[in-house]
Amino acid sequence: MDWMLIAELAVNGVFVGLMYALVSLGMVLIYKTSGIANLAQGAIAMTGGYVAWVLLAGLGAPVWLAIPGALVGMFAFGMLIERVALRRMIGQPVIMTIMLTLGIEIMLRGLLPGVFGASVKRLDIGIPQAPLFVADLLINRATLIGGGISLVLIVASLIFFNSRFGVVMRAVADDQTASWSVGIRVERAIAVAWGLGAVAATAAGILWGSTQGVDWSLSLLLIKALAIAILGGLDSIGGVLIAGVIVGVAESLATGVVDPLVGGGTRDIVAAVIILATLLFKPHGLFGREHIERV
Amino acid sequence: MALLSLNNIEVAYDQVFLAVRGVSIEVPERGLVALLGANGAGKSTVLKSISGLLKPERGAVNRGEITFDGRSILAIDPPDRVRLGIVHVLEGRRVFGHLTPRENLIAAATMHRDRGHVSALIDRMFQTFPRLAERAKAKAGYLSGGEQQMLAIARALMTEPRLLMLDEPSLGLAPFLVDEIFDIIRAINERDGVAVLLVEQNATAALEIAHSGYLIENGRILMGGTADVLRSNPDVADAYLGGHQKVDYHAVKHYRRRKRWLA
Repeated sequence: MDWMLIAELAVNGVFVGLMYALVSLGMVLIYKTSGIANLAQGAIAMTGGYVAWVLLAGLGAPVWLAIPGALVGMFAFGMLIERVALRRMIGQPVIMTIMLTLGIEIMLRGLLPGVFGASVKRLDIGIPQAPLFVADLLINRATLIGGGISLVLIVASLIFFNSRFGVVMRAVADDQTASWSVGIRVERAIAVAWGLGAVAATAAGILWGSTQGVDWSLSLLLIKALAIAILGGLDSIGGVLIAGVIVGVAESLATGVVDPLVGGGTRDIVAAVIILATLLFKPHGLFGREHIERV
Repeated sequence: MALLSLNNIEVAYDQVFLAVRGVSIEVPERGLVALLGANGAGKSTVLKSISGLLKPERGAVNRGEITFDGRSILAIDPPDRVRLGIVHVLEGRRVFGHLTPRENLIAAATMHRDRGHVSALIDRMFQTFPRLAERAKAKAGYLSGGEQQMLAIARALMTEPRLLMLDEPSLGLAPFLVDEIFDIIRAINERDGVAVLLVEQNATAALEIAHSGYLIENGRILMGGTADVLRSNPDVADAYLGGHQKVDYHAVKHYRRRKRWLA
C-alpha cells in the first residue's frame, strides 16, 4: 500500500468535501428556518452555474462583476421560489412541500439544458489548472481554492446565525406561531433563508462549474449534499463542515483504493451508503439538534 | 375611550365551527381585565382574534369589529399588530426552546432598530426577572415551568406593548409560583401602565388582581362587571370560586342547579 497515495487522496478529499458541503450548507440554512428539506438544492446550484456562464461567456462581463452578479441574481431567485411556490404550501403536509421542491429540481434540470443546449459549457473564472506540489503531495489547485472559499462561507454563516437576524431565524425555526406573536415577520425570515440557500448553492455551482464545466450533471451535487446534510444532522452548520470532510475523504479513498480492486464506479456509491448507514444507525445525524422534552 | 374594544365579534374555525359568537368586551387604558371561563369556552379564541393568530389555525373573524386605540385592526397582519402595541403571551408558554433566555429576548425585538435600546430593554427584563438572569446561558427548553412563563412574559414585554394579553399564565404552576407571576403582572400594570387582558381558569387568583372581568361560556359573554361585583355574585362563586360557604353534603339534592346568571 502506497501511503503517499493515500495521504494525497485524503488531502484532496478534504477540499472536495468542503466544496460538497457548500451545497448542503444551503439545505441546512433552509431547514434551520423553515423545517423543510430542500431537494431542489442541486438544480439551484446548476442554475447558478448557468447564470454565471451567461454573464461571463454570453454577455462578456468580467469575472469580478459576473460572480457577484450571479450571486445577487440567485439570491433573488431563491426568494422568488419561496414567494411563488413555497408560501402557498403553508399549512399543507410537509411531504407535499418536499415533493414540490423535488419537482422544482426536476423542472430546472430539464429546462436549463433545454434553453441553453445540452453541451458542456466552459466556465473559466481564472483559477489556474496547474497542480500544486506540497512536499511530495500533488494537490489539485482548483479544489484547494474551492475548498478554501467554501470553508470561509461556512464559517461566515456560523457567525451569521449568532447575529441578531440569525437569532430571529432560529426563533422562527423553533416556533412559528410564537414568532408571530412577538412581531417577527416569519415569511420574510424564511424568504431570506431561501435567498441565502440559493447563494450558497450558486457559489458551489460556480466552483464546481469551473472544474468540470457547466451542464445538467451539476445538479447531481444534490445526492452528495443530501448525504452530508443527513450525516451532519440537517440543522447543524458545524455538522455540515465535518460531515463534508468525511464524505469527501471517503469518496476520494474509495476512488483511489477500492476502484482498482472492483473495477471502478465506487465513487457514486459512497454517498448512498452514507445516507443509508446514517438513517439506520443515527437518524438525527452526528450533530442534529436534540428534541428538548421537559419531564 | 377604551384602548381595545371588541364589538359583537363572531369567530369560526374552518368556516364551520362557531367558537365565539356575539362577544363584546372592552379594555380601558391602563386597565387590568380578566376573562374567565371553563375549558373550551372560547377564551383563547377571543385572544387570538385580537392578536391575529387565528390564521394558522384556519380561524377567521366573520362578523363584528375590533378596534385598538380607535382604529380597526381586523385587516392588519399579526406582526404589524404587535407594532401597534398588542402582544399575546400564548397558552403553554411557547418559549423558543433551543435559544437561550437572552436570545429569546433578542428575537422579540425585531421592531427596535436601535441596538442600545434593545440591550437596555434586556437589562430591564433581567432586573424584573432575576431568575432569568441566573439562567441566561441555559437553553430555554430546560428552564422550569415558572421560569419559562416569566421568560414568555419578558419576551412579550420586549415589544414595549400597550396591551399585554396573557393566556393562562398559571397553567401547570405551583401555587406559590402563581402568586409570584400574578404579582409581576400587577406590577407591570401599575408601574409601567400597560393594559392587561388576562385569560384564566384560576378565577380566584385572577379576580384578586383584576379591576374588572367578563365571564364567558360556550362562546358567549354571560356577564361582565367590576371584580367586586363578579366575586360577590353567588353563581360565579359557586361555579368558579369553589363556593363561599361549607356545603352539607347530606342536604345536597341531586339535580343540576340551573344557572340563571342574573347579574
